Amino acid sequence: MIEFFQQFTNGLAVGGIYALIALGYTMVYGVLKLINFAHGDLFTFGSYLGMTFLISFALSGALPPVLAVVIMFLMVMGCVALSGYLLEKAAYLPLRHTPRLTAVVSALGASIFLQNAIMLFYGPNYEVYPDSLRISSSVNLLGLDVPVMRIIMLSISILLMLALYFFTQKTKLGTAIRAVATDQAAARLMGIDVNRIISLVFMIGPALGGAAGVLLGLYYGQIRYDMGTMYGLKAFIAAIIGGIGNIPGAMLGGMLLGVLEAMGAAYISPAWKDALAFLILIIILIFRPTGILGERTAEKI
Amino acid sequence: MKIASKLQLAGAGVILLVLPHVAGPYWTNLLNDMGLYTILGLSLNLILGQAGLFHMGHTAFYAVGAYTTAILATKFDVPILWTMPLSGLLAGLFALLAARPVIHLRGDYLLVVTIGIVEIVRITLVNNVFGLTGGSNGLLIVNPISIFGFEIFRPIHFYYLILALAVITIILFYLLHNSRFGRALNYIKHDELAAESSGINTTHYKLSVFALGAVWAGMLGTIFAAKIETVSPQSFSYSESVLLFAIVILGGPGSIPGVLLGAFLITGLPELFRELQSFRLLLFGAAMVAMMIFRPQGLIPPRRRVYDVQKYLARFPCAISSRVPNSGAGTAGTPAPNPSTAGAE
Amino acid sequence: MKKIVALCVALLILPALSAFAANIKIGLMAPLTGSYASEGADMRRVVELLAEELNNKGGVNGSKIEIIVQDDGSDVKTAASAAQRLATSEVCAVIGTYGSAVTESAQNIYNRNKILHVATGSTSVRLSEKGFPYFFRTCPRDDEQGLVATSTLHKFGYKNIAILHDNTAYAVGLAEEIKAGLEKAGTAKIVAYDALQPNERDYSAILTRLRGAAPDVIFFTGYYPEAAMLLRQMREIGWKIPMYGGDATNNSDLIKIGGASVVAGFRLISPPMPGDLNSKAAADFILAYTNKYRAVPSSIWSVLAGDAFKVIVEAIGKTGSTDADKMADYLHTKLNNFEGLTGAISFDAKGDRVGDLYRLYEVNSRGEFVLQ
Repeated sequence: MIEFFQQFTNGLAVGGIYALIALGYTMVYGVLKLINFAHGDLFTFGSYLGMTFLISFALSGALPPVLAVVIMFLMVMGCVALSGYLLEKAAYLPLRHTPRLTAVVSALGASIFLQNAIMLFYGPNYEVYPDSLRISSSVNLLGLDVPVMRIIMLSISILLMLALYFFTQKTKLGTAIRAVATDQAAARLMGIDVNRIISLVFMIGPALGGAAGVLLGLYYGQIRYDMGTMYGLKAFIAAIIGGIGNIPGAMLGGMLLGVLEAMGAAYISPAWKDALAFLILIIILIFRPTGILGERTAEKI
Repeated sequence: MKIASKLQLAGAGVILLVLPHVAGPYWTNLLNDMGLYTILGLSLNLILGQAGLFHMGHTAFYAVGAYTTAILATKFDVPILWTMPLSGLLAGLFALLAARPVIHLRGDYLLVVTIGIVEIVRITLVNNVFGLTGGSNGLLIVNPISIFGFEIFRPIHFYYLILALAVITIILFYLLHNSRFGRALNYIKHDELAAESSGINTTHYKLSVFALGAVWAGMLGTIFAAKIETVSPQSFSYSESVLLFAIVILGGPGSIPGVLLGAFLITGLPELFRELQSFRLLLFGAAMVAMMIFRPQGLIPPRRRVYDVQKYLARFPCAISSRVPNSGAGTAGTPAPNPSTAGAE
Repeated sequence: MKKIVALCVALLILPALSAFAANIKIGLMAPLTGSYASEGADMRRVVELLAEELNNKGGVNGSKIEIIVQDDGSDVKTAASAAQRLATSEVCAVIGTYGSAVTESAQNIYNRNKILHVATGSTSVRLSEKGFPYFFRTCPRDDEQGLVATSTLHKFGYKNIAILHDNTAYAVGLAEEIKAGLEKAGTAKIVAYDALQPNERDYSAILTRLRGAAPDVIFFTGYYPEAAMLLRQMREIGWKIPMYGGDATNNSDLIKIGGASVVAGFRLISPPMPGDLNSKAAADFILAYTNKYRAVPSSIWSVLAGDAFKVIVEAIGKTGSTDADKMADYLHTKLNNFEGLTGAISFDAKGDRVGDLYRLYEVNSRGEFVLQ
């Protein structure tokens, strides 16, 4: 039983990362009905940026560690948000009124471009976050060994998700985002600047993805240029499981996928973990095509 | 005009026939890869281009074919070419089984599910199910293809084999494009609901086209297995699927010449720019984005289907011609000659 | 007009002339990109250094050596096309490569084209069990590694052993060897035998699973990036049992990724490290390498590529020919205790290197590999 709960916490840690990345997918899909395949690579980019800031600006030495990390987070989120904005302007805006397939290919192209740009700049090998900021001890919670880093990581991701949730539910701008997601034409008639909202979504999503990248770097220490592909796919699965376009759905889907993967690795076989993730996706789509929290809507004709 | 185009065709034929003798084994090998991707692209084009189904899992079917061949050849000593029909059949069957529960999914959902199918197949192969697939080593084929005792193992041998297959594929798919089946697929692509209302069994057609594309990919898997000799899961990854997808979309979905050009560009160009090794994928990604922005229909979009109504009506002189004074109003008074042309471009 | 004709003639003759004093071409297939890119970079440096030294001394039989490098991309498919490329570029022999599965995909192509093939880091047993006449390797085999691993585990008295591999050709092979060896000896129990997925970050699920089986030791047969992550996460969940690794964990990146304090105490089975080679040839080589590249080779595998180069040159020199049959025959039967960088080299009838090379290493708290 202890092992079961231990695996549960293992799953939550990975799930937290999936959920943060999934938010970016789900928001973009919500407003544009586009799978932003490059989102996984923006996440990688965030991870590398975090490393660069930590090392080159010597943030880790000059300031108290907590402050240094907060500053780094803000810098990374800002930079990745900016690249998300540019990405949308360059690769998606001109395709707003073309067949859906073209935007998908454009997204794939952008993903290949970003991944290789990162590889050319940083090199193809594993890169490592400085060890000084890591806390490698663990605490004993109710008989479970839980690494401190994992608790910190999970709290930060939950905090970011809650912030986003309240932003979209309670603020005027958030309401505008939801309006655009529901019906672009009607939102425009209500005086909402749709293009501005889309740009905003393309900044918030990548910013969260970048934050996830930094969390991943801080926690696991080791990053690589091509990691965005797999994390991106998993996060997208998480978004669909939860109900794409739905923000609490992405959080739920991420956590659920993380936990199911850990359980699969524990009780079925670790080597089949990824296959299991895709299998869950297919099963969910067969029985509940709009995901767990997604609303069933009539197909528009 | 007719004669000129025939001459052009003959000229292209002669060039293709003598090309490997001029090019040498290195370039012939590259031409072979190009040929394989061309045929694969054409088979994906049926699903993605003609029927408009977002299918990014074509390498899964290709893998089933290649592994069928490899398993039969290594474990049961079956001559390679004999495995080809079975490879196609199994790949088709697999496609039916895999696509049946998800065929009703639309657009992006189907896209992600087909990516999932590729990954599940790859992981199954890596995990060496039933000890058949050889895990991540894959299987090693030692005996070459032999046709009436003639062994095919040099690039130049493969060249003619692949060329022959490509020509057959192009002719068959061209006929298919212009058949009732092809028109029905186009109808589904442009307006599924209207197609369904006109009495087209969309599920049936979608599944058939999936199976057909898969059969082709499976048979090609045999040739690939014989050519590469080591059949391993790495050859059937997600990124390979993306490449095939890009061939069809860049070339022009639904257009056979478009796919030919797409395969040529996507497999050939990176090889020509080998000097730029590390930059080539970067440029490739940028080119994909740029292409979509400037030519969203692909390099050679499919031609609109054109029907000469006058000619069609001329076949029924007594019934119609008296009632139709000019061709412009031709269709108005007649029963639709063929329901599926209505929605097609 | 005449000038143009003369120019054309000259252009035609030039390549012919240079072909006359022909260079001997030797191919190098190495992972310049992909997961093992750092190994590939070293392999290239070593072989190019040795070729340069040899050419400065006048080459072999009066011909210079030209190295033609192809990237195997650390994967099977890229390797197959790299091999095709080398096979069609008139090389008489090929050095490489690192990963066993990668080598395997190229083997057939070289064999069919009658090209001498000397692998450098591919230790999988099955490579030399196929009866390819032109295949050799300067590294030892996994069955030997398995024996050393088994006897080491036995020596330290472990009773409950967990074996973990990563589903790659090499790691599965080694894991099976160790499993068979332990089962045969019957002194220890295998409490877990699992595979992980390489190139991931979170291995806590599999560690928790292994922990449930309560082993006294883990033997991981995969590569260094995963080994480092496993060690880190074991530390995090406070699980303190020793971990052993196979020779693919022998790379200085293990320390870079894991951090010296975490990796300290990790033990691995490996051929001797470059610094532990005590022959004069090795010392001279390390000196020359350090002078040129301001670093020591990061692992033994690139040095074994140097050995591959040396035996090929020896075979060309002694047989006076670049014919694969003659060279292979020479290496199989006549080459005896040739002084290579990693010690005396002889090959058996299968093309495997004769002699026991495996040693036990432990990582110390400064992150250095120390011979036990």
